[in-house]
Amino acid sequence: MDLGLQGGKAIVTGASRGIGRRIAELLAEEGCDIALCARADSRVADAVESLEKRGVRAFGSALNVRDGERYVQWLSEAREALGGVDLFIANVSAGGGMDGKDSERDWYRNFEIDVLAAVRGCELLADAMKDSSRAAIVMIGEALSGEAFGPPLAYNALKSALATHAKQLSHALAPSGIRVNAMAPGPAAFEGSRWEMLEYADPKLYNATVRQHPSRRLSTADEIARYAVFLASPAASWVNGTQIPVDGGFSQRIGF
Amino acid sequence: MVDASGFDFGTAMIPKEKYTCPAFMEREWAALWTKVWLLACREDAIPEPGDYYVHDVGRESILVVRQQDDTVRAFYNVCQHRGNRVAPPGLGHTDDTLKCGYHHWEYDLSGRISRIPDIETFPQGAPCHGLVELACDSWGSFVWFTMNPEPEPLLEYLQPLPDQLDRYHFERMIMTRDWTVEWDCNWKTSVDAFNESYHVQGIHPQLLYYLDDFKVRIDCFGRHSRYIVPFATVSHRVGETTEIPPLIKLIMRDADMDPADFDGRVEDVRRAVQRWKREHSPEVGLDYSELEDDQLTDDYNYLIFPNVTLNTHADDLMLFRHRPHPTDPNRMYFDLQNFRLLKSDEEPPPRRPRHRHFKHGEKSLGLVLDQDAANLPRVQAGMHSTAFEGLWLGKQETRIRHFHKVIADYLERDPRDGGREGP
Repeated sequence: MDLGLQGGKAIVTGASRGIGRRIAELLAEEGCDIALCARADSRVADAVESLEKRGVRAFGSALNVRDGERYVQWLSEAREALGGVDLFIANVSAGGGMDGKDSERDWYRNFEIDVLAAVRGCELLADAMKDSSRAAIVMIGEALSGEAFGPPLAYNALKSALATHAKQLSHALAPSGIRVNAMAPGPAAFEGSRWEMLEYADPKLYNATVRQHPSRRLSTADEIARYAVFLASPAASWVNGTQIPVDGGFSQRIGF
Repeated sequence: MVDASGFDFGTAMIPKEKYTCPAFMEREWAALWTKVWLLACREDAIPEPGDYYVHDVGRESILVVRQQDDTVRAFYNVCQHRGNRVAPPGLGHTDDTLKCGYHHWEYDLSGRISRIPDIETFPQGAPCHGLVELACDSWGSFVWFTMNPEPEPLLEYLQPLPDQLDRYHFERMIMTRDWTVEWDCNWKTSVDAFNESYHVQGIHPQLLYYLDDFKVRIDCFGRHSRYIVPFATVSHRVGETTEIPPLIKLIMRDADMDPADFDGRVEDVRRAVQRWKREHSPEVGLDYSELEDDQLTDDYNYLIFPNVTLNTHADDLMLFRHRPHPTDPNRMYFDLQNFRLLKSDEEPPPRRPRHRHFKHGEKSLGLVLDQDAANLPRVQAGMHSTAFEGLWLGKQETRIRHFHKVIADYLERDPRDGGREGP
């Protein structure tokens, strides 16, 4: 099956490491030019180099999406550099502690980084995406936002907000030919991930979580990214307004 | 990579008998314990004339007494009548004399015999001296003593640490915990556990997301030693995380920083905490003016030879004292004392924490020390195996080599011991 991504133009936020990085790499392997942002200069440069090796054009900028003005300016620059936009992958996340000690500032942090960066990206890019014949937005949610897991976290609650927004936006943008989906990855272990850290920092929680997975393991970044790329591709043309868990069967709920 | 440049104490195996052999323990007693300066207690534990503290070390018990003139004197805690201990271990106070519980012989605060009941029944009269005195001095808010009848001055013994440690101002700190735990290991097995960071990966894996156990600076100063472990950072053994690890968030919150407002990378946190503490210390009433930036985050871990480990931090001190058992090389007493820097307008609490004594495992010491404590008896037991000859030490364990060199130097210096073959 051809995903139909050859020659596409994609913007991916938070793509220097982990799931975002893997999504950008897979999109590049499918023939998409990529614009990406992340916080650290050196890691952005490293990601750009790895994408260019895959034979596509890649543009990277080091910035903090909490700086709304700079972020919005970058989105325009990215659109210009790519010469249009087909795909917007709202991946960047503030993450969440597992200690249940979220302060009010943590709520702002998750709101600004997880939600607002996605909302701003959709608003700014929707116009350009209307010209694309394969326009799609993918928001990275969280499988655990649909579960009562661990202590109360701003992260989980605001990932839910993102899923709600994706659904509403899908209805608003469908007439313009833009699909909007969210996806809900479960615990993933990869270099620099929260779960990799928890294997050392909280082995009890880590092992219990692994045991709760039907396959007795956590996902890789690649397993999350592959679904994101499918969701973003024209191969998923009739998938719209969804949030599908990609968690190896970890979450307990059944979505009818 | 660990940096122990400038220090080379060879590569020889350290024979296990130093940890397991009663004969070696005897040599240590004669040539080391009775020669060195030892920590007794905090000055503020015995503030008033008549306050005293009894400290047991090995086979001896030492009585440290605040005098009428505010000085402190130390005596062997043994009644000259029949050898009974005059006072039990720990803190006490007397309004007049120190009275032995056996036959009520009494000594004044300066150790002189002040009363012997029925003195007329001793045709030989009273002993010619009272309690036997030993040298005693103060440094760093602590009282020290030595059983060495011809000691070098305390400050000389401690060189060059006072210059490095005075700037932490231990005298502005209050004690928050005073525990003793019985451990089934040699006192040096315990010292060793805090003299290297190599074991973090094995015993404390959670700390890999809290400190850098590998990028450690080691210094050996005469008989003492130190290493500096960067805190508030992720170990070189694991990758940098995108999220700030929970234990590092704890460091930030302790400094009144909200991790939610920190937008830098995890590897930037340590410097940011240093800057923040430097900037905000005046308004919270904490004076770090004599400390370097790294001292605001990192663990400056000292061994004051032979048996005091100091984990010095800008805001607190965690002190371990490793005391030998009187007779058994496989047992020891681990004293755990915590201190916290007072803010400038903060009154010290009216009461110091009560001393508590536990057997191993009776009470949690906190996760990190529990991890150490659980392992030590296994190390001690393993050393007795016929399949084990001695310690095979690497560069990261330079302080342990240095420690053994200093011990060996003491044994050699002892005229009754010098040149003797064996471990």
